[in-house]
Amino acid sequence: MNAPLGAPDTAAPALVQLLDHLDEGVLLCDDAGIVLYRNPAAARRLPAVAVGGSMPDDLRGRRVELGAGQVAWYLQRASDRASEQANDHATFLAATARRLGGMLNADRVCRATVELAVSSLAGAALLVLPTRRGRARCWHAAGSAPVRQDQVALAALPAAVQDTLDGNPVAQPFLWPGGTPFLGGEATPAAWVVPILAAGAPAAALVVTEVGDLALLEDFAARVGAALEAAQLYAAQSRVAATLQESLLPEPPAPVAGLNWGTAYRPARSTMHIGGDFYGAHPIAGGAMFFLGDVSGKGVDAAVLTGQVRHSLRALRRIEEDPQRLLHVLNDMLLEGVSDGRFATMVLGTAQPRPGGGIRLTLAGGGHLPPLVLRADGTVETVALRGMLVGVTDEPVFGRRSLHLAPGETCLLFTDGVTEARGGHRGAEMYGLRRLTTALAGCAAMPAPALAERVEQLAMDWLGGREHDDIAVFAVRAEPVRTSPRHLHSVHQAATVTVS
Amino acid sequence: MSPYDDYLACLAEADEEGAVAVARGLVDAGTDAERVLLELVAPAQRQVGEWWQRNEWSVAQEHAATHISERVVAVLGHGARATGKGRVVVACLDGEWHALPARIVAEVLRLRGWQVTFLGASVPVAHLVSYLHQQDVDAVALSCALAPRLQAAHRAVQACRRAEVPLIVGGRGFGPDGRWARAIGAHWAADATGAADLLDDPAALRTESAGSLAHLADDEHTALLKRRGDLVDEAAAELQRRFPPMRDYSDAQLDATMADLAHIVDFLAAAVYVDDPELFTGFLAWTGEVLASRGVPAASLAIPLERYRGMLYDFPRTGTMIDAGLAQLRR
Repeated sequence: MNAPLGAPDTAAPALVQLLDHLDEGVLLCDDAGIVLYRNPAAARRLPAVAVGGSMPDDLRGRRVELGAGQVAWYLQRASDRASEQANDHATFLAATARRLGGMLNADRVCRATVELAVSSLAGAALLVLPTRRGRARCWHAAGSAPVRQDQVALAALPAAVQDTLDGNPVAQPFLWPGGTPFLGGEATPAAWVVPILAAGAPAAALVVTEVGDLALLEDFAARVGAALEAAQLYAAQSRVAATLQESLLPEPPAPVAGLNWGTAYRPARSTMHIGGDFYGAHPIAGGAMFFLGDVSGKGVDAAVLTGQVRHSLRALRRIEEDPQRLLHVLNDMLLEGVSDGRFATMVLGTAQPRPGGGIRLTLAGGGHLPPLVLRADGTVETVALRGMLVGVTDEPVFGRRSLHLAPGETCLLFTDGVTEARGGHRGAEMYGLRRLTTALAGCAAMPAPALAERVEQLAMDWLGGREHDDIAVFAVRAEPVRTSPRHLHSVHQAATVTVS
Repeated sequence: MSPYDDYLACLAEADEEGAVAVARGLVDAGTDAERVLLELVAPAQRQVGEWWQRNEWSVAQEHAATHISERVVAVLGHGARATGKGRVVVACLDGEWHALPARIVAEVLRLRGWQVTFLGASVPVAHLVSYLHQQDVDAVALSCALAPRLQAAHRAVQACRRAEVPLIVGGRGFGPDGRWARAIGAHWAADATGAADLLDDPAALRTESAGSLAHLADDEHTALLKRRGDLVDEAAAELQRRFPPMRDYSDAQLDATMADLAHIVDFLAAAVYVDDPELFTGFLAWTGEVLASRGVPAASLAIPLERYRGMLYDFPRTGTMIDAGLAQLRR
């Protein structure tokens, strides 16, 4: 191709056609800057440049020396370059949004921010998140090194960073003598700092080096701010929720000598993990008072009422120890309006360990499912305990039963979430009392916590992952008597014990 | 009698104090608490499982023994101090009620200096996710012995990835060599020690694998689970016709049979989910042993399988799984 391309008939026609159809403009010049050839794309882009004329001085594009003094220029449209760059930016910002959008945890948002920044935006990055009393936590990385986390005093940071945290809204350049531990590089790294705004206020500051594009940095900071805002809001709300939840969840029963408690609690699927079922046990003179019940309604409203019932019973047991009379007091209290028209079903009882082993139970029933008793011989009895709902009428009738549990025997209370669990292979059949009593036959040897968990598991297995009502189980077992204390042979041997 | 025999005797008698005394005695005599967990409690639990499988122990005995071992594990882990290694959450996958293996993992990690939160049995993925939002943890360890929960495990994998928290899974539900964990793109550890070693290797933990579930594009898994109710009903009717002892079953036995038939579908679906016939044949071998020890001939399993095969004639991948199962039963 020694002949100038301006004479196309001397070049391979196919090659010229290839050049003619390129979107990229191509110019060929000689060593004096005279244009020897231009393809149609170059002609469209630079109409004033003609073959034989001079090449413009301000030509922008890729310059390639072809040898023999000839120079080729490959020209892209300015808008092509801009849109390529815009594409890269959009891809990066989309990746940022995708990655940060999945996490609602502030610490992980901060770590991911630094990772993202050094991946495509900056040579090194530092994120400063003020905590309290002039301290801040910070995450930083340089190049491809892993992100490190530190604590710093705000006063030890450069003025530009402090100003940004105090409210300066625009990106600022600054030199940071001694910034190497955070940003790597030279002794005095040159950096930019931008605020991360969450809920309209500076929540953090992002410091970066070798940043190419300030507009992109600011867009990035805005997305980080949105993610940090969501994470901080989530954290604040979940703290409140956890505190409320704590007060609305049943408390573990207080330990009482001679009695073995077991509980299980699985509220209907809800984010708060609370519901309308409740139980509890508190020591009284000579034993313990215990209860399990269910208030009408679901969710937070029902849970608030269970809290009131539990706290009332805890206080009332000090002045009234008879379960039946205690139910009457509770009934009056609910009718007086604390319940907002809600009512409860419950079993309330006292358990008194007997001197020779075993316990005496006195049970009062307020419209609840009858308790079951697991006898030592493996049989399961239903306690005929009747009674009206608690909190519906001002002259209620509550049932009462007394019974004896021999050592190792258990009384089991549960809510209708167990027996009314809908499942089976079609998901439409109720679990029912018959299945429960059959499954419990032979479970008398189980410690109370294992039994309660077993009942919960039976119901959950029956449900097979389907939605369900609140489920609560409460078991009280008379401590079994150990006939012969186990003689432990081998554990007293020397330190070189083989385990098996 | 070795401490191991002593321990098993305590489990058999539901003697909690005795079991705690055996374990504590070993620690007091200088044995590592981790060794007591891994060489006393864990093998004893495997033994209990085998006794249940052979119908030598009832479910009640198994539960009582497990409860006692859980108490022992809690006692052994008590007093371990976090050494600033980081925070780990340990939980059982939704639907997994056997918490003891996960609890052993939790205590081994605690003894190795991790700050450990144990979320308990059957933790819904949604609860796990909300916990991860609230706490900055370094890793999650999930336990599951049930292969039908692999789809839930896969959801957990995706949720943890979205939250950028590395996840380790373990338990029989992920296959003998963790192959189904790999299929769903999860890190796998064979046991508590393996989990502890993996946690000490952050670079390995951070590598992500997409898994290999492209075969799910045929939609057989979802379509199969939609037909679960029909399949079980038809198989039950077929058993009534072809397996005469079933006519005299009690209500409880009938319930158990229906549950077994549903289990077969669930394991079949799990095999389809990870595209591995061995998941299904392995389950059939195990179920055959459980049934045989309870006086039900393992060959009776062929009856529902043949019915499922007929009903699922337009499910090619599922069909190959059932054929593999039938071939195994005939051997």
